[in-house]
Amino acid sequence: MNLMHHPACRQRYGTGHGIAAALLLVFGLLMSMVATAAPRVLETAYGQVSIEGTPERVVTLYEGALDAALAAGVQPLAAIATRGGSDVADYIEQRAGDVAIVGTTRELNLEAIVSQQPDLILASPRLPKQQYELLSRIAPTVVPPGTGLTADGWKAETRLFGKALGRQDQIEAALAEIEQRAAALAEQVQTRYAGDDRLAYLVRWMPQGAIVMSTQLFSTGLLDAAGFDVRDSGLVGDGRPHSDPLSLENLARVDGDWLFLATLNEEGEEALQAAESSPAFARLEVAARDRVIPVDGQLWTSASGPLAATALLDRIEATVLDR
Amino acid sequence: MAADRFNTLSQRQAAAREVPLAPAGKWALRLPGERSVLVDRRSLFANLVLAALLLLACGLSLSLGSVNLMPLQGLQTLFGEGDPLTTFMVLELRLPRLLAGLATGAAFAQAGCLMQTLARNRLATPGIIGIDNGATAFAIASVLGVGVSMAPSAMALVGAATAAALAFGLAGDVGTRGYRFIVAGIGIGAVFGALTQLMMAQVAIDAANAAYPWTVGTLNARPAGAVAVLGIALALSTVAALLLARSLTVLRFSDAVAQGLGIRVRACRYASLALAIVMAGLAVAVAGPVGLVGLVGPEVARYVTKGGVPVIGASLAGALVMVLSDLAGRLLLAPLEVPVGIITAVVGGPYLLWILLRSPRIAP
Amino acid sequence: MSKDYRPVSKSRQLQPAMLAALAVLAFTCLCSLLLGAGETGPGAALAALIGQGDNAADFVVFELRAPRTLVGLAVGLALGVAGALLQAVTRNPLAEPGLLGVSAGSAFAVAVALALGASTATLRMFVAQLGALSGCLCVLGAVRLRGVGDDPVRLVLAGAALSSLLIALTSLLLLVDQHTADEIRFWVIGSVAGRNLGDLLSILPSFVLAGVLTLLIARPLAALALGEQVAVGLGHRPGLVRLLTMLVVALLVGGATAVAGPIIFVGLVVPYLARAIAGPDIRRTLWLCLPLGPIMVVGADIVARLLVRPSELPLGVLTALLGAPVLIAVVRARRLHAL
Repeated sequence: MNLMHHPACRQRYGTGHGIAAALLLVFGLLMSMVATAAPRVLETAYGQVSIEGTPERVVTLYEGALDAALAAGVQPLAAIATRGGSDVADYIEQRAGDVAIVGTTRELNLEAIVSQQPDLILASPRLPKQQYELLSRIAPTVVPPGTGLTADGWKAETRLFGKALGRQDQIEAALAEIEQRAAALAEQVQTRYAGDDRLAYLVRWMPQGAIVMSTQLFSTGLLDAAGFDVRDSGLVGDGRPHSDPLSLENLARVDGDWLFLATLNEEGEEALQAAESSPAFARLEVAARDRVIPVDGQLWTSASGPLAATALLDRIEATVLDR
Repeated sequence: MAADRFNTLSQRQAAAREVPLAPAGKWALRLPGERSVLVDRRSLFANLVLAALLLLACGLSLSLGSVNLMPLQGLQTLFGEGDPLTTFMVLELRLPRLLAGLATGAAFAQAGCLMQTLARNRLATPGIIGIDNGATAFAIASVLGVGVSMAPSAMALVGAATAAALAFGLAGDVGTRGYRFIVAGIGIGAVFGALTQLMMAQVAIDAANAAYPWTVGTLNARPAGAVAVLGIALALSTVAALLLARSLTVLRFSDAVAQGLGIRVRACRYASLALAIVMAGLAVAVAGPVGLVGLVGPEVARYVTKGGVPVIGASLAGALVMVLSDLAGRLLLAPLEVPVGIITAVVGGPYLLWILLRSPRIAP
Repeated sequence: MSKDYRPVSKSRQLQPAMLAALAVLAFTCLCSLLLGAGETGPGAALAALIGQGDNAADFVVFELRAPRTLVGLAVGLALGVAGALLQAVTRNPLAEPGLLGVSAGSAFAVAVALALGASTATLRMFVAQLGALSGCLCVLGAVRLRGVGDDPVRLVLAGAALSSLLIALTSLLLLVDQHTADEIRFWVIGSVAGRNLGDLLSILPSFVLAGVLTLLIARPLAALALGEQVAVGLGHRPGLVRLLTMLVVALLVGGATAVAGPIIFVGLVVPYLARAIAGPDIRRTLWLCLPLGPIMVVGADIVARLLVRPSELPLGVLTALLGAPVLIAVVRARRLHAL
C-alpha cells in the first residue's frame, strides 16, 4: 500500500528537489502508517463517515474534489467531464492525465462508477440523497456539508477531501503555499497601486447588462486576498452567488478601478470587444482607463480547489502586475 | 392486463363463440351473469405484440449497460446467482430503474390518452396543461433550497397538484371538452416555466447543474417510495380507465348523442380529467417532465390498434418507449449517461413526425 | 363556429376599440421613455425629450430607452400578428407560434454557437435568426414533402415534435458542455435591453416582406375560415394561402426571436384578447393585434425594469407572468371563439 506513494511524490516534487523529496517521502510514509493505525472520522453532509488507511482507488465526482486530490498527489481513477463531454476543465487537464470519465456534472453514471470498484468516492455537496445511498454501499462516499456561500468555504472542502484521502499534510502545505502566494501578490499590488486605486468588481457581461458576482465566491475571495478591494455595490442579495442583470442605465455602479470580466474563453478578447461596442459600457471610466481584464469564466465563476487557486493567482499576476 | 384477458379468452373461447352477433373483427366474451364484452381482435393482437416487445426490452435493459451481461447471466443475477458486483448492478441499479421506467411510461401514456380523447385535441397532453411545468418548478425550488425543504419528488407532486388545482380553480368550469381547463392550464404552465427559468438564472452553476435532471426527466436513482406509490396507483387507474374508455369512445361524438346513449357526460369528463391529472402528477414526481411519452404512447397505440380509446395499448407503448429510451440513454454516449427525457424527445420527436406524416387523418 | 359571427355589430365596435388600443399604446411608449431602472426619473427624461436634458439623461433616453422601446414595438407587433395568423390557419386556439420549431430552432442554434466557442456577449444575431428560420422551414418542408401540408393540425403537431427534438438536442449539448449551460441560462429568457437600432435594421427586411404578404393573404384567410369550399368558390387556393401564411409566421417569429430571444406567450395571448374584443374574423383580429402585441411587450418591459431596481428582470418571465392572468380572464369571461 505504501509503495503507492513513490510515483505520486516524485511526480509532484520533480528531480530538482531531491533531498526535499526524499524527506517528504519518509514523512509521507510515516504519516500514512500513522493514518493506517486509526480510522479517520469525517463529518459529511450525510453524517459521519469513517475511513481507514490510504485509499488507492479514488473516484472524484466534483471538480473541486478532482482539484484537491491532484493537489494532494493522488491520481484519481475516474472523474466527471465538465467540458465537451470527454474532458475535465482546461486548467487541470494536463495534471489529470488519463482519467476515466464516469458522467457529467449534470448526470452521473452510477454503473460506470461502480464498475471502477473504488475504495473512496469524493462527491459534490449537491449529491442527491438517493445517489448517496447507492454509492455509499460501494465505498465510503464523502459529501462535503453545504457551508452556504463563503469565500473560504472551498478551503474547508479541500481539507475534508485531504483528510478522506489520508493526506492532510499535503493539503495543508498546498493551502499554505496559496496563502503565501496571495500575500506576496497583495504586497506587490499594494506597492504599485494606491489604496484608492484598487476597487474591483467581477462581472459577467451580456448584451442586456452585467451580472455582478458576489464577494463571497472562491474567485472574489482570492482577488481580495491578492490585495484588491472587491465589492458588489450592494447588488447581490445575501447568500446569492450573483446579482440579477444590472440595468445598463446603472452600469456606473460597477465603474471601479478594475473590472474583471468573466468570459467563456480564456483570453476573451472578443467578449471584451463586444462589451466595448455597447455605448453604456464604453462610457465607463474603467473601460477608458483600459483596466478591464477578461478572465476564464469557468475558472473564475465555477471552479474551486488549490490548483484552481494557483491558476487564478497566475492570471492576476500576469494581467495586473505585468502591464 | 392483456395477457389476463387472453387467458380468460382461451379458456372460454368455446363459450364466447356461442354468443351471437359479435361484429366482424371482434370476439364477444361472456362474463358471469348475463354480461358480455366485445374484444377487438386487432387491438388484442396489437397489445400482445406490444407486451412481448416490452418483455424483450426489459430483458435487454437488465443485461446491458456499463458492464454487459449475457441475457441468461442477467436472469441468473436477478435470481441471486452472480458475483457481488453484477448483483449490485442488476438488483440495485438496473432493476429499480426498470420498474420506475415501466411505471412512469405507462402512467404518462395513460394520462395522455385520456386527455387527448377528452379534449379531442392531439396537442392536449399533461405536459401542455402545466402539470409538468408545475412539478418541475417545485422540484427545482427544492433542489435549489428556495423555500421549504421537502424532498424534490414530494415537491414535484405538490407542484403538479398545485398546477392542476390552479387550473381547475381559475378555469371556473371544465368547459366543453375540457377546453377551458386546458387553456387555463397552458397559462399556468407558462408561469411555472418562466419561474423555473428565473430560478435557474439566479443560482450558481453548481446549483443549476444539480437541478438539471428535473428539467429534462431522468430515471437515475429515483426514490423507491415514489415508485411504489405510482405502481399501486397505476394498477387502480388502469381499471378505472378501462371502465371510462367505453364512455369516452361515445363522448367522441356530440354530447347529445352521448347523453342519448346513457352516458353521464359531465361526470365522465371530470373523472377522466382527474384520473389523467393524478397519473401525470405521480409520474412526474418519479421521473420529472418526460411528458413527450404522453404524446408518443397514445399515438403509437392509435397507430397499431386503429380505433377506440386504446388505454392498454397506450400504457404498453408508453412503458416500451420509456424503457427503450432509458436503455439507449445509458448506452449511446457511454460512459456519459443521457437522461431518459432527452432520448424520448430525440427518438420520440422524429417518430411522432413520421407517424403524423404518413398516416391518414386520425381523430383521437 | 359561425354563431359568434356577427359582422355588422362587430365592425361598429372595432373602431373605438382600435382607437382606445392606439391611445394605450402611445401612453405605454411614453412611459417606456420616461421610466427606467436608473437614476433618470420621469422629470429628467421629459426634459431630455423636449431637448433640455443633461448629458446623462440624453444618453439614457435616446441611447438606452428609445432603442429598446422600438425593439419592443417591433417584437410585439411580430409576435401578435404571427399568433393570430397561425391560430387562424390552424383553426386551433392552442397554436403558439413558438411551437413551429422557431423558438426551439433558435435556442438550438445559439447553444451550438456557444458550444463552438462564442459567448452570449459576442453572439451574432444572425445565428438565432438562422436557427429560427431553419427550424420553421424544416417543419414546413417535412409537411410539404409528405403532401399533408393541407392539414394544419398536423402541421402544428409536426412543429411540436420537431421542437421537442431540438429542445432535447439542446439539453444534450448542455449535458456535456458546462460552459454552454452556464451561458445559455441567461439567453433562454428573452430581453429587449441593450439592443440597438442596427439589430432592428437587420431584421427589418423580413418584417417588411411579412407585412406585404400579410396584406395579400388576409382576405383569403378570412374566406378559408368559412370553409374550404367557400374559399375555393371565391377563387382562392387554400394550399397556397396556408403555405404563405406559414412563411409569414416563420419570418415574423424568426425575426423577433433573433432580436430579443425567446419571448413566450405573446403570440398566444394577444390573439385571444383580440378575438375577445373584435370577434373571430381574422382581418379585424389582425388589425387589433397590431397595437395589442406592442402594448403587451413594451408594457412587460417597463414592469421588468421597475420591479427589481437597480437590476432588471428578464422580459420573457414578465410576458408569462402578465400574460397568464389575461389569458385566464379571457377564458373565464367569454365563451371561447372556436376557430
